[in-house]
Amino acid sequence: MVDRLAAIAAGIDRFNAAIGRTVTWCLIGMVIVQVAVVLMRYVLGIGSIWLSETILYAHATLFMGAAAWTLQARGHVRVDIFYADAAPRTRALVDLAGALFLLLPFIGGLAWFALPYVTRSWAILEHSPEASGLPLVFLLKTLILLFALLLGLQGIAQAARAWLTLVGAAPAPAPRPHH
Amino acid sequence: MGLPELLATLLVVAVCGLLMAGYPVAFTLGGTALAFAVLGEATGVMRFSLLGALPPRVFGVMTNEVLLAIPLFILMGVMLERSRIAEELLETMGRAFGRLTGGLAISVTLVGVLLAAAKGVVGATVVTMGLISLPAMLRHGYNPRLAAGTVAATGTLAQIMPPATVLVLLGDQLNTAYQAAQLAQGKFAPDQVSVSDLFAGAVIPALALVGLYLAFQIGVALLRPHACPAIRREPDAPTGVALIRRLADALVAPLALIIVVLGSILGGLATPTEAAAVGAFGAILLTARKAAPTRSAPVTLAILAAAGLLVLHHVADLRVGRADASAWDDAAVAAAFVLLAALAYGAAAAIATVAREKILQPALAATTQITAMIFTILIGATMFSLVFRGLGGDDMVQRALGDLPGGVAGALLIVMVAMFLLGFVMDAFEIIFVVVPIVAPPLLRMPGVDPVWLGILMAMNLQTSYLHPPLGPTLFYLRGVAPPQVKTLDIYIGVIPFVLIQLGMLVVLWFRPGLATWLPHLLAGG
Repeated sequence: MVDRLAAIAAGIDRFNAAIGRTVTWCLIGMVIVQVAVVLMRYVLGIGSIWLSETILYAHATLFMGAAAWTLQARGHVRVDIFYADAAPRTRALVDLAGALFLLLPFIGGLAWFALPYVTRSWAILEHSPEASGLPLVFLLKTLILLFALLLGLQGIAQAARAWLTLVGAAPAPAPRPHH
Repeated sequence: MGLPELLATLLVVAVCGLLMAGYPVAFTLGGTALAFAVLGEATGVMRFSLLGALPPRVFGVMTNEVLLAIPLFILMGVMLERSRIAEELLETMGRAFGRLTGGLAISVTLVGVLLAAAKGVVGATVVTMGLISLPAMLRHGYNPRLAAGTVAATGTLAQIMPPATVLVLLGDQLNTAYQAAQLAQGKFAPDQVSVSDLFAGAVIPALALVGLYLAFQIGVALLRPHACPAIRREPDAPTGVALIRRLADALVAPLALIIVVLGSILGGLATPTEAAAVGAFGAILLTARKAAPTRSAPVTLAILAAAGLLVLHHVADLRVGRADASAWDDAAVAAAFVLLAALAYGAAAAIATVAREKILQPALAATTQITAMIFTILIGATMFSLVFRGLGGDDMVQRALGDLPGGVAGALLIVMVAMFLLGFVMDAFEIIFVVVPIVAPPLLRMPGVDPVWLGILMAMNLQTSYLHPPLGPTLFYLRGVAPPQVKTLDIYIGVIPFVLIQLGMLVVLWFRPGLATWLPHLLAGG
């Protein structure tokens, strides 16, 4: 049981880290495309809604795709007045209760309302409101479900690891984020 | 108090209490709000289906063009940090001014201003400054209190020095609130307030703060010279012309980058997003040149090509696809394409260099995680705002603010005090996402409250609470990286003069809104 739980948590970690590392490249894409848009507009006098929307898509993919990885890396801000100096068991308890009673319900609620919203978009293969924009709005909206799915998985990993700490089968989480 | 108001109040109390436990803020906001939505449905106070508005709101965050600037500005700062430009600047400026009494403190302040402008995230700036500047000052016999106070205060400038991340987020939220306030007054072609307006509004107050910091340090140097002794001259250190060359080398590139980025925004030439992308791009070029000086030819080529494009843009009409283009214009367009190709080649080489030197990947990872952190809070805060509004909390706050004795000033004062206290426990991001949408619309409906002035007041207020002992987050950041001979009490006492300067500046800004509104009006040509 303990081993299986640890293996599941480690698997989720690897999965979300792989996705997180991949979407970081959206950032360099944003820089390149935005600079290209600036040059095209100010030097050559041509604009492209298509390219501008690509930047928006890259940006949304960046933070929606990396939110779960950020949770894993302890990059989400906490009010750490008490948490930072708390005993390892207390920190594990906060993480366990937080994942079960705050994160997972919130993510579940978001997914519950997002599902019909995204399905409606897929049903008409929703196009950009701009005539020359990207015809992929349904994929962009699907990112909301992906965000919920990845964060839900990471929440399960967090809860599992906190539980393992509480039963003495894993080391305590680090008190502070590291960035 | 009816049941809805009771639930709205309990929601705020529950969130504040649960936040103290230390679970990430984004999910505490979202999870608690969801629980209250269920409670609201069960008691018939609000419809749970109201949360159907959540996915469109999240989609609105994903497609918000103003917020695109956030990761780009952060990347620019992170790249500049990894290029070790700050260390080099501090070293050469310390050499240049250090032989004066108090000169090192002044150098640290000036470098801190540059760094704050480049980075725009307080925690990162304070940590960098704490790791570089604090040991340098202590090594040269500075009073630990003065050293710690200087580092904490200048690091916190990142809250208000444009292009601060806080100002981008505040500008976006205030614009939404401003539109709502005007619509509620029956104004159907509402005015806008932009991020650029807030940047322009912050310039004079931020520079005034820096001036007061410097004045304080010069005062200390005159009255208590032993607290900030001059640096002894090192035998092999460069002097005279050689030193000036080194200083120019270290200073010109980052300074030029920041001036181009800020200048193009304030001058109305570029949107913050466009300028941020150019800034991040420039930071990559600079970092590549520093990381591999022997292979800097492609980067030099890219910089020359960019300069060439600028010149060409001024001497010829480069718009493509025109029927009436002269032979001269056609030739210029051809030349422009050659320069664009050169720029693209240089950029590709620079990106390859920073990737090969293993600078790019960690910078991308750090930027991505900070961005994801900010936007996840925004999503959690969206859920909170929906439920708070669903329970009628908005109307409650609006009535409460309207009923206060003292009218506009009373309402503004109570909001400022509340934000100041919240600043002790919450990040500026959370306060901006949670508090501003609730309090800003009623405040902006009151006579004489200018949105830019309100924004700068809020930003400076949050900045002050960031620095205020004993709970200011800056002090915790600094505590984490300060050498052991700097006691916590030294940090607390050291920041007091700077906190007093800040509070004084807030009072001046309160009575002289022109300090914030003059420059935006001037730049808008009004």
